[in-house]
Amino acid sequence: MVDKIKIENLSCYYNKKSVLESLNLNIVKNEILSVIGPANSGKTTFLRTLNRMNDFDVTYSRKGNVYLDGDNIFDIDAESLRRRVGMLFAMPIPLPMSIYDNITYAPKRLDLITKKSELDSIVERSLKDASLWDEVKDRLDSSAMNMSGGQQQRLCIARVLAINPEVILFDEPCSGLDPISTAKVEELMIDLKEKYTIVLVTNNVKQASRVSYTTAFFLMGKLIEIDQTGKLFISPKEKETEDYITGRFG
Amino acid sequence: MIKLNPKLSQKFSYTLLCLAAIFAIVPVLLMVFIIIKNGASAISWEFLSSMPKDGMRGGGILPAIIGTLSIVSCAIIVTLPIGVCAAIYLNEYAKDNIFTRIIKLAIVNLAGVPSVVYGLFGLGIFVMFLKLGVSIIAGALTLSIMELPVIITTAKSALNSVPYYFREASLSLGVSRWQTIRYVVLPNAIPGILTGAILSIARISGETAPILFTAVAFYVPHLPHSIFDQVMALPYHLYIISTQIPNMPKDVIYGTALVLLMMVLTMSCVAIFARIYFRKRRKW
Repeated sequence: MVDKIKIENLSCYYNKKSVLESLNLNIVKNEILSVIGPANSGKTTFLRTLNRMNDFDVTYSRKGNVYLDGDNIFDIDAESLRRRVGMLFAMPIPLPMSIYDNITYAPKRLDLITKKSELDSIVERSLKDASLWDEVKDRLDSSAMNMSGGQQQRLCIARVLAINPEVILFDEPCSGLDPISTAKVEELMIDLKEKYTIVLVTNNVKQASRVSYTTAFFLMGKLIEIDQTGKLFISPKEKETEDYITGRFG
Repeated sequence: MIKLNPKLSQKFSYTLLCLAAIFAIVPVLLMVFIIIKNGASAISWEFLSSMPKDGMRGGGILPAIIGTLSIVSCAIIVTLPIGVCAAIYLNEYAKDNIFTRIIKLAIVNLAGVPSVVYGLFGLGIFVMFLKLGVSIIAGALTLSIMELPVIITTAKSALNSVPYYFREASLSLGVSRWQTIRYVVLPNAIPGILTGAILSIARISGETAPILFTAVAFYVPHLPHSIFDQVMALPYHLYIISTQIPNMPKDVIYGTALVLLMMVLTMSCVAIFARIYFRKRRKW
């Protein structure tokens, strides 16, 4: 059990209003951490702080530290951080270009690879790892916008895999998907934890119980409870956690 | 007051509103009709391709066509890159602070300045202070300043119409802001920027006041050799021949107006078709 990410006293604010209060949390390497909680509990803010996507929001400010393998993420430059910490959004967002170009977009921009043969092989490898290769291998040049929602989300996963990150953040990745596509994405997450550390924010309590090793429950910007998923779901220590996972509110 | 029944009042208001809309096309059709009717007979290859003769009363309008084309193309070459860069800065980088607000206020005000004031400004700055003389370049720079706010505004809205989530998707992969703009935002904004630019060209082609003191002459016996030459231009030529020359044949006046009108309308049509074409190709 190695900790990949350590969060120390992290507080986040929008327009000086606190949305996340002195959070302390460790994320275990090569495991899935689920973050559950009702709306406005600070889950997404937490996630978007981990790869500093919130830096673009001028109303956002923060205190505290986050360490990725011992490096303070606020000291490394944001672009190299995001290369190490990839992100999946709630809605699949393919870029308006071909499937092939979606995958090669970031590797090309980041100068990771330039040779055509290497690009071909990274496309194949990423799509295979995202279990999408068989469905699209014959139409790599067609627009990514014409795929189904579930395929688009797996394409987005493949696009993240192409830059070979260390951590992948999933921000409610199945909220727009049907149950079959959701099952595929969940299976994929379980496969991916072999190579990557995963943080999953989800509104779906059952999803958290299905895929994650650890689950954290957030409420009103506070971490109420964190434990191994099995323990948290069978015998939560806090009353709020129990109320939430049994569906009494939220 | 008479109370109409709902059906009748519906009919009444529909007719009234529809008539108001129809009223907007009437002047356009009428103008085109009158100009074509009076001017079509003057149009010939010779009219388009030769120099004026007999104190403008005969010959062609080639120098005016060349003059307008050269002023307008120089103007767009100057204004488009500056305008697009400014729009990128304002839309993609600028934070909402005093400095940005002053820039935005300046742009709005620049757009509201009467065109003859631009003409005077161009005379003072480009013709006299920078000693460019009355020339294509002085006129083009004057027009480009006049058109800058329009180019900035249309380019900005074209950039703004590219959904924000495309930027987020790109940025989240560790791609830099500039690369995101260069490879995701710009390619998807270019159609909008181009149609805006074409409409700008159409608009400045017909401007008279800004080039009046800065670029044009009543009559130039030869075609321009460089951008530092004085030229004739269609809108000014039209003004001259319709007010300053006695016994001017009517069909030459209307023929000149027709050429100018066709240039402008062709560019507007190109812009419309470009927009339709790009909209069909758009993938989101």
